[in-house]
Amino acid sequence: MGSQRGDAFEYALKSNEAWANYKGHQNPAFFEKLATGQTPSILWLGCSDSRVPETTLLGLQPGDVFVHRNIANIISPTDINSNAVIEYAVAHLKVSHIVLCGHTCCGGAGAALGDARVGGVIDAWITPLRALRKANEDELTNIKDGGQKAVRLAELNVEAGVKTLLSNFVVEEAVKERGLKVHGVVYDVACGKVRNLNCGNAGGLPGTKSAAQEEVEIVKGNHAMLVFGGDGARMSIR
Amino acid sequence: MDAKGRQHSVSHFLRENQDRIFANNRAWVASKVKEDSGFFEKLSSGQHPDYLYIGCADSRVPANEIMGLDAGEVFVHRNIANLVPNTDLNVMSVIEYAVVHLHVKHIVVCGHYNCGGVQAALSHTDMGILNPWLRNIRDVYRLYEKELDEIQDLAEKNKRLVELNVLEQCRNVIKTAAVQQSYQKNEYPIVHGWVFDLKDGLLKDLEIDFENVLKSIQKIYNLEAGRKGSTA
Repeated sequence: MGSQRGDAFEYALKSNEAWANYKGHQNPAFFEKLATGQTPSILWLGCSDSRVPETTLLGLQPGDVFVHRNIANIISPTDINSNAVIEYAVAHLKVSHIVLCGHTCCGGAGAALGDARVGGVIDAWITPLRALRKANEDELTNIKDGGQKAVRLAELNVEAGVKTLLSNFVVEEAVKERGLKVHGVVYDVACGKVRNLNCGNAGGLPGTKSAAQEEVEIVKGNHAMLVFGGDGARMSIR
Repeated sequence: MDAKGRQHSVSHFLRENQDRIFANNRAWVASKVKEDSGFFEKLSSGQHPDYLYIGCADSRVPANEIMGLDAGEVFVHRNIANLVPNTDLNVMSVIEYAVVHLHVKHIVVCGHYNCGGVQAALSHTDMGILNPWLRNIRDVYRLYEKELDEIQDLAEKNKRLVELNVLEQCRNVIKTAAVQQSYQKNEYPIVHGWVFDLKDGLLKDLEIDFENVLKSIQKIYNLEAGRKGSTA
């Protein structure tokens, strides 16, 4: 065994045990119900960045959000990984919303704004970001602040991703048939808030599903989360 | 309800759902700031997660919640059935960024029982664009055909395939240049295989013997030597 298989790892497993006990105590049927199936109403497409945990920052629960996260939340039309997720979520689980979320302080955006080669396979992955940078060179050059420049590129990336999503056949069909909504948002790491870019199809066609079908079951009540910091555990109730 | 009334109620519902999320988000921010007024400021100065988590897109398996970790503590990739295909630039970029640039200490591949992707791969259904993705699970079956064929109970067979899929995806992580080179140099990251059980919310450690797996793949997959111009 390697020397690193130590505290952090054991901590996470212990923490999971505490969480499972707590959730089970709070609602004895919680996990039993989860095991019967999932009916999430949201597909979240976001960045892998550790500072943007979707379910936590949305204040939602296990079972609420179907999730794909990759480097810089890039939606490439021929990426089989995200295509498989979108197909499963839209055609099989029939989610009502797709939320594409970019964020401030994104390392991928920062790399695409620099001129150095990142190395390995990452340069190939972030090529769409570099293309966006080139297509918007004038606007981006006029933004002097590096952080602001990266935020603008993150916004442009979300707008481009939303366009790609709305051109995806399965998404297009679900928009027409049942009023699927596609949203583009940006998460501000410095304040924790999600900002709507209003670049999706908010004005899309009204759905044809009945209100009863749309009813989503959510376990109500206050939910707590065990949080482990460097100096021990604490319970965060929200 | 007449057609007009139904249309109104549906669009109202969609609107309401979105509002609830923004309200939840604001409540979460308020509770974090109350606990630690500098929480978000600190996060915006950079991320230093110890973990990379590769898990399933399934809504019932949220990485931070099941591990009890806070924002900033775990870098996350989630896809259908927690796969790590060698030619998928999406997951390969995530692994490389986490190892080479963030220096994560642990990589977790986490599967879960009742996985829809694994179930689909055990059925004989044409699922369109999902076929090439799910093919990776069928290939895991072929590697363990004898063991799996001996399990008569379908639910048990499914559970075992979930576990074997995690083991094989861990092996795929270990085959990457980033992981081999970093381990040689720093003695991290360590790769772990876990399975989440929806029935009780508990994580099960498959106790992968990381060093032995690493040794066993290196006859063929050794990429430790590095490459001129590589950042690793």
